[in-house]
Amino acid sequence: MYAIELENVCKSFGAVRAVDELSVRVPQGCVYGFLGPNGAGKTTTLRMIMDIIRPDSGTIRLFGEPASSPARDRVGYMPEERGLYRKMTVTAVLNYFGSLKGMTAGQLRRRGGEWLHRVDLAEHAGKKVEELSRGMHQKLQFVVTVVNDPDLVILDEPFSGLDPVNQDMLREIISTMRREGKTVLFSTHGMHEAEQLCDFIVLIDRGKIVVNGTLDEIRSGHQANTITIELEGDAGFVQALPMVQAVKQDGRRLEVRLRGDADPQELLRVLVERARVRVFEIKQPSLHEIFVQLVGGGHAEDL
Amino acid sequence: MRKIYRVAEREFMETVKTRTFLLGLLFVPLIIGGIMVFGDKLAPRKDAPREPVRVRVTSASEPLSEKAKAVFEEYNKSHPSAPITFDITITSGAAAQEQGKKALREGRLDAYAAMEGDLEGKGGEVRLFTYKPRPSQVDALGTVERLLREAVINRRYETRGLDRKMLEEISRVSIQWAELGQEQGQERAQGQGQRMARMMVPFAFMYLIFMGIVGMGQHMISSIIEEKNSRIIEVLLSAVSPFEIMAGKIAGLAAVGLAVMALWGAAAYAAARWQDMQIDVGADLLVYGLIYYVLGFVLFSAILAGVGSICNTIKETQSLMMPIMLVFVIPMIAWPRLAQEPNGELARALSYVPPATPMVMVLRLSSGTEIWMGEVVLSFLVLIAGVLIATWAAAKVFRTGILMYGKRPGAGEIVRWLRER
Repeated sequence: MYAIELENVCKSFGAVRAVDELSVRVPQGCVYGFLGPNGAGKTTTLRMIMDIIRPDSGTIRLFGEPASSPARDRVGYMPEERGLYRKMTVTAVLNYFGSLKGMTAGQLRRRGGEWLHRVDLAEHAGKKVEELSRGMHQKLQFVVTVVNDPDLVILDEPFSGLDPVNQDMLREIISTMRREGKTVLFSTHGMHEAEQLCDFIVLIDRGKIVVNGTLDEIRSGHQANTITIELEGDAGFVQALPMVQAVKQDGRRLEVRLRGDADPQELLRVLVERARVRVFEIKQPSLHEIFVQLVGGGHAEDL
Repeated sequence: MRKIYRVAEREFMETVKTRTFLLGLLFVPLIIGGIMVFGDKLAPRKDAPREPVRVRVTSASEPLSEKAKAVFEEYNKSHPSAPITFDITITSGAAAQEQGKKALREGRLDAYAAMEGDLEGKGGEVRLFTYKPRPSQVDALGTVERLLREAVINRRYETRGLDRKMLEEISRVSIQWAELGQEQGQERAQGQGQRMARMMVPFAFMYLIFMGIVGMGQHMISSIIEEKNSRIIEVLLSAVSPFEIMAGKIAGLAAVGLAVMALWGAAAYAAARWQDMQIDVGADLLVYGLIYYVLGFVLFSAILAGVGSICNTIKETQSLMMPIMLVFVIPMIAWPRLAQEPNGELARALSYVPPATPMVMVLRLSSGTEIWMGEVVLSFLVLIAGVLIATWAAAKVFRTGILMYGKRPGAGEIVRWLRER
C-alpha cells in the first residue's frame, strides 16, 4: 500500500493550470522529495493531498483512503507559511492542535512533553508563543506538526527560514523518522537537502512531472560526461581522441568533456595505453546540474 | 463533532480571557448602574448658583409693571444665589425698544422684554430679545419667561376680579399610582419614572439580543482575521474541515454571547428588584429568546465568517459590513414605534426580514401583547431559511477565501465560488 497516491490530478486557478495530470505514488517508509521552481505547483499539490483545496479532477488517496477521510489524522502537515496563536502558551497550542488530530489528554501530556524536551523547548512550555524567539517558534511549529506521531509527515519548504542549527536538527529528525518506518514528503528548493535525505525525488515544472524516481535512477539517466585527468608527460594527444569533444586545461589537470554516448571506460583504456595516468575521476552530475539541464531555459535559476 | 467541540471550546476560552472582552462585559452594567445611582447628580439643578441675569422690561401699563416687579422680587427672595437684576420702565413704542436692543448689543443687558398690546385683556404679546446668550444662561432665561407669564396671569386674574388662590385650590387634584403585589396588603407607590422603566423592558430584551449578536460578531471577525493573517488557518485546515472551523467558531462565540446575556439579564433583573420593580419574565419568553438568539447569531456570524474570510484587515470588513449592520440597526431606531404597536404593520413586516427578525420578535413577545402563534412559527421558518442560505454561502466563500491573500476578490469571483461544487 502507498502512503500517498495521486492519479491524474488537475487543478486550475482561473486560467492558470497549477497542476496538470499529476500522478505520483509515495511508498510507505521512504523520504520523498518534491522539487521544482517557484510556481511549479508544489504547494498546491501538497494542499490538495491535505484536502485543504480540492482537485478539479483526478483522485488522491492517503493510505488507500480518500484524502478527506479520518486517514488525515495520521498525517502531520507543516505549511510553508507558518503561524501559531500568539496569545496562547506553548503547552496550550500543542494540546489544541494535538486534540484536533484526535489525541487524548494523556497522550498529549506524555508525547507533548517528550517532543518539547527533544527540541529543547521544555523549559519554555509555560510561555506564550509571542514571547518565543524566531528559532524557538520554528521548532514549536514543527512539534505541532508531529506531536500526534503521524505515519506520514508532509513538510512544505521545511528548511526555508531555518537557522543552520535548526536545519541540522530537522535533518536529524527526518532521518530518525525514516528509521522508525515513517513516510516523509517534503518540498524544497535546496538540492543539497534533497540529495542528502531523499530516497525518491520528483521534479515538477509548470504543474507537470519532469522526472520522478530514486536518486540513482535519476543520476543514471544523466550519464557523467565530464572527466578530470592528470597524465605524466605530454597530454597533447588527448584533444585528438575520437571520443573527446573538448578539453580544458586546469593547471596540471585536464577537464575532458566526452561526446554524447562515449564510455568513460573506453577513454581510460586509451589513456593507459599511451601514457601514465595519475588521476582519473568521473565527475558525478549534481542534482542541480541535472535539473538545470531538464528544466532549462530562463527560470532554471529559480531552482 | 468532536473537532467542532474542540474549536468551539478554544474559541470560548480565548475570547473570555481577552481584556477587551472583560472590559466590555463590565462596562455596560457599570454605566447603567452608574446612571441609576448618580443620575440625580448629573441632571441640571433648578437652584444652581450663577451670575445675576440682567433683564429690562418695558410695559405701557403701570399695574402690569407692578405685577412683574412683585414676581421678580419674590423670586430673588427665594433664590438668593441665582438672582435676577431687573429694571422695569413704564414706557412703550419703537424708540424704547430700540434703546433696549442697543443695550443688549452693547452687553449691558442679558435679556430685554417688551410687553406689548392688550396683555391685560386677551391679546397682546411679550417679546423677549437676547444677544449671543451664553449656554449657562439658557436655564435662567427660561425662568425669566416663566416669571413674566406669571406676572401677566396675575394681572389678568385681577382685571377679571378672580381670586387666584381659590382657583388653584380647585385645580389641585391629588393622584397616586400604586402597584399591587401578589399578596393581599402588598402595594407600592409608583412614580412616573417606574412606569417609564416598565416601558423600557421590551427594549431591554431587544438590546440584550442586539448586543449578544452584534457584540459577539466583532469577536468573530477579529478571530478569523487573526487566524488568516498569522497563517494559522492552513495548519488548522490540515486537521479540520472549513465547515468544522466555522461551526466551531459560531458555537463557541454563541456560548460566550449566551453567558454575557445571562449575566447582564440577571444583573438588570436584580437591579429592577432592588428598585422595587416587579417584572414578570415568563419561561416561554426565555425559551423563545434563546431560540431567536441562537438562530440570529448563527445567521449573523455566518455572514461575518464569509466576509472575514475574504478580507485581510478588520478595516476592510467594516466597509462590507455596513449594509448588513443597517438592517440590524433599524429595529434599534424604530423601537418606540414597535413597542407601541407590537402588532402594527412595521412590526409585522420587520419580523420577516431575517437579520432583524430575532430582535423584532423578542421585542414584540416581551411587550405583553398577544402575538398569534402562527406568526412565531412563520418567523422561525423564515429565520431558519435565512440561516441555511447564509451558512451554505458562507461555507463556500470561506473555503476558498480563507487561503487568499492580497487583493480582495470581486463580486463576480465570489459568485463563481458559489457555483462551484
